[in-house]
Amino acid sequence: MIKLERASLRYGAVLGLSPTSFELPEGGGIVGLLGPNGAGKSTLLQLLSGLLPPSGGSVEVFGQAPYRNPAVLAQIGLVPEGDRLPVGLKGRGWLRMMGRLSGLDGAPLEAAMAKALDTVGMAERADLPFPRMSMGKRQRMRLAQALMHAPKLLILDEPFNGLDPEARLTLMALLRELADGGTRVLVSSHILSEVAQLTDRILLLFRGRLLAEGGISEIRQLLDRHPVELRLSGEARALARWAVEQPELVALALEESAAVLSIRNPRDFLPRLQKEAAKGGLPLTGLDPLDLNLEAVFQYLTKDHA
Amino acid sequence: MPIYAPSLPPKPDLSMGQPPALVIARFDLRRILRQKMGRFFGFVFTMMLIWRLGYVYIYYLKDQNAVIGKMLEAAAPVLSQGAEWHADMLGGWLTYLLWFLVALIGGGLVARDSLYRVRPLMYAHPVKPSDYWIAKLALSALVPFAVLLPFALLPWLLSVGLTGLHGVMWATTPLRLLPAALLIALLMGSVASGASSLASTPRAGIGWVIGVALGLEALGGMLYGLLGSGSWMALSPMSLAAEWPKLLCGSANGVFGWVPAFIGTAGPLALWTFILKARTKPSEAVL
Repeated sequence: MIKLERASLRYGAVLGLSPTSFELPEGGGIVGLLGPNGAGKSTLLQLLSGLLPPSGGSVEVFGQAPYRNPAVLAQIGLVPEGDRLPVGLKGRGWLRMMGRLSGLDGAPLEAAMAKALDTVGMAERADLPFPRMSMGKRQRMRLAQALMHAPKLLILDEPFNGLDPEARLTLMALLRELADGGTRVLVSSHILSEVAQLTDRILLLFRGRLLAEGGISEIRQLLDRHPVELRLSGEARALARWAVEQPELVALALEESAAVLSIRNPRDFLPRLQKEAAKGGLPLTGLDPLDLNLEAVFQYLTKDHA
Repeated sequence: MPIYAPSLPPKPDLSMGQPPALVIARFDLRRILRQKMGRFFGFVFTMMLIWRLGYVYIYYLKDQNAVIGKMLEAAAPVLSQGAEWHADMLGGWLTYLLWFLVALIGGGLVARDSLYRVRPLMYAHPVKPSDYWIAKLALSALVPFAVLLPFALLPWLLSVGLTGLHGVMWATTPLRLLPAALLIALLMGSVASGASSLASTPRAGIGWVIGVALGLEALGGMLYGLLGSGSWMALSPMSLAAEWPKLLCGSANGVFGWVPAFIGTAGPLALWTFILKARTKPSEAVL
């Protein structure tokens, strides 16, 4: 579906995206595009949505270059960043125009619009002018315009910015539904916890470079040299006595009823821990990974590349 | 990670809808028609048109009514007639007001899309950049042309209706005034849409259009005054808009001739269309 081969983009002397290669297969699912501001997320999305040609390398979406290619663009839905919608317009009129730009007209257009509005839960409120819609509703309208032509690839640039928690959860549920229905959803964000709630498949960008791609756990495996923090709940002293004998231990901290271990190679350490606990040799009541999340992955990787 | 061979999607059916340029132009036209300023300009232009139609009717009465005929003969020295009178159908306050209208409408056409970042969305659909700028340019030119069209045709139609082809107005009047109206409209449209693409808000766009029109008028006037050649006035789109009807109707009161008029018109048309095209490229439509 998406294939980049050493695709790069320059804005004059500034390198917006270093030569980047990755592939996303056909089919539904959500992919998170992560990185801090200025990492190159929007640049990558501009390449994928055909707004810009790559300065080097190649970008293929559905097997073709997307730049100025109507055959590809008709399969893409884009929800750009920001909360700017034309004032003085009602949602439905704006949607109708966007549908027409996708080649719809007449009864098929009205049907597609009704379906998209229904999907995003705005069927009743689409006749409101944009300034009278809440930010969450405006975001849904933006999503509706991207869905009208039933795209196979949906690209959302920072879609959760400015949304309240309820609207955020609603949008996440909606994106999951679309992904389950066979749409490939590509979501960019600089807030790692948001993407972690949405998907485990990420592309990590930093300073115009693709640092890593894959599932969070896959990426975590790339980081075996970095210690993982685990909290072992139970009798802290007994747990600590056992832990200090393990070769993977890097650091140890005692809490009132838990031992916080910093260990390398968790894939070797955890089965041994499990075995020991099953034998009854450890007073273990709980195990919590403290940093097996996107935040930790991001920090490790960016620290290495900074 | 597994490698998947890229596969082509089924060819989308893009034949259902209208050309994207037409969709964009129609959308903007509806937005323009909803604006309340249409009432003011509609009233003023209607009054101007009635005045011109009245002129034609009075000339008709001159031949029909001896009393009115004598009165008009007495007033002949102060009434414009002939080529000047024909050219005046598209001249005078009409073009000044039209510049103002085009600035108000055209100044925001592209700037509004820049402000609300509409272009990335449009270009993410099967819309080519040329669809976009052609739509904006066409609409900016269509508005003044639509206003000028009744001024070019209705007095002539009235004259033909009252006295036939050998009446008050020349039989060839539409052949002279319609090209003039088209050139004026293209000039106004290119300046308005091009200047609008330089602005980031509709208000700034209006300012740009008025500024460009008045600024070049002042520059042309200064150079005319300093160098003594009326050709310098062809730098000004406002002067060009006033001059074309005179040239095409053969008026002797023109400030400059055909060559400066052609160069003066082709230059801004090319320049402002180039600016419009350059400023609305997809690379300018950042997400």
